[in-house]
Amino acid sequence: MAKKRDKLGIISDMLASIQERNGVIKPTHLMYRSNLSHAQLKSYLEELVGKRLVERIQKNEYEYISITNKGCAFLQKLKEINEFERTFGI
Amino acid sequence: MLDFVYSPRWFCGNEIIIDIVSILVLFLIGFFSFTYYRIKRKREHLSLASAFLMLSLALIFKTLTNFTVLYHLLETKRIGLITITYEIVKSSDIPFYAGFLPYRLLTLLGLYMLYSIYHKQSRTTAFVIIYLLFVSTYFSYSAYYAFHLTALTLLALITVEYFKNYRKGRGRAAMVLTLSFALITISQVFFIFLNLHTIFYVIAALMQLAGYSGLLITFIMVLIYGKKKR
Repeated sequence: MAKKRDKLGIISDMLASIQERNGVIKPTHLMYRSNLSHAQLKSYLEELVGKRLVERIQKNEYEYISITNKGCAFLQKLKEINEFERTFGI
Repeated sequence: MLDFVYSPRWFCGNEIIIDIVSILVLFLIGFFSFTYYRIKRKREHLSLASAFLMLSLALIFKTLTNFTVLYHLLETKRIGLITITYEIVKSSDIPFYAGFLPYRLLTLLGLYMLYSIYHKQSRTTAFVIIYLLFVSTYFSYSAYYAFHLTALTLLALITVEYFKNYRKGRGRAAMVLTLSFALITISQVFFIFLNLHTIFYVIAALMQLAGYSGLLITFIMVLIYGKKKR
């Protein structure tokens, strides 16, 4: 059985999903790619926007989510932590 | 009288450099593990940070003691009373209590903390083992190898854990980590036999340098692989 994602795992998946789409993604696409419900997406997005890891932008009358430099740096740190945990077996 | 200067004279000074390199490597891993703990709030990160910082602190005690002894040796050489002063420093109990005792105790506690990350233990077991580590440190006053035997046992157990982790397909960094700990473990064997010949001390110190350099390489690999992987 797959291990349940923790909060940071979900945030990591969300930021990685945005980064994979050249740093900009539609909220619905982010929801599907991150395997989240609408309520979860809303809650997590509020937190990420609050911490300035992502920002909402308007383009052609549609709302998009864009990853900030701070978000990219945080994602990088999370990848580093995952590698550290893998190596040390913790 | 206590005899704690094991290094051959021509090697004095080099061991301090080796210890400083080791301190920096251990501190670096401990510090980063602590920053990871601040992000993830995972208990294992805190334990790992504490263990590595404790090992680093232990080596600081050792280095300061060695430095003090070396300083005395050098100073005596300069004023031309080398033999007399050397014997006084060598046979003093003060450096043992002030430097080597904390070094040995902190090293064993740090290694035990590292081991207990992989084998969770009850409070009673932990209490008994910590008590035995104190006893081992105390007896190392008269029999230095008591410390190295205990360190060897703990290091061997930790190396086995890292080998098991590597066998799970955790990549090259895990392999280098295992090899590094294996080298540090084997160095303890040479430390045990250093009374036979001082060259064993040199071999052990060089193996430790190789082991800690391996740890540094492991850490650099973690940073590089972390950048590459998703």
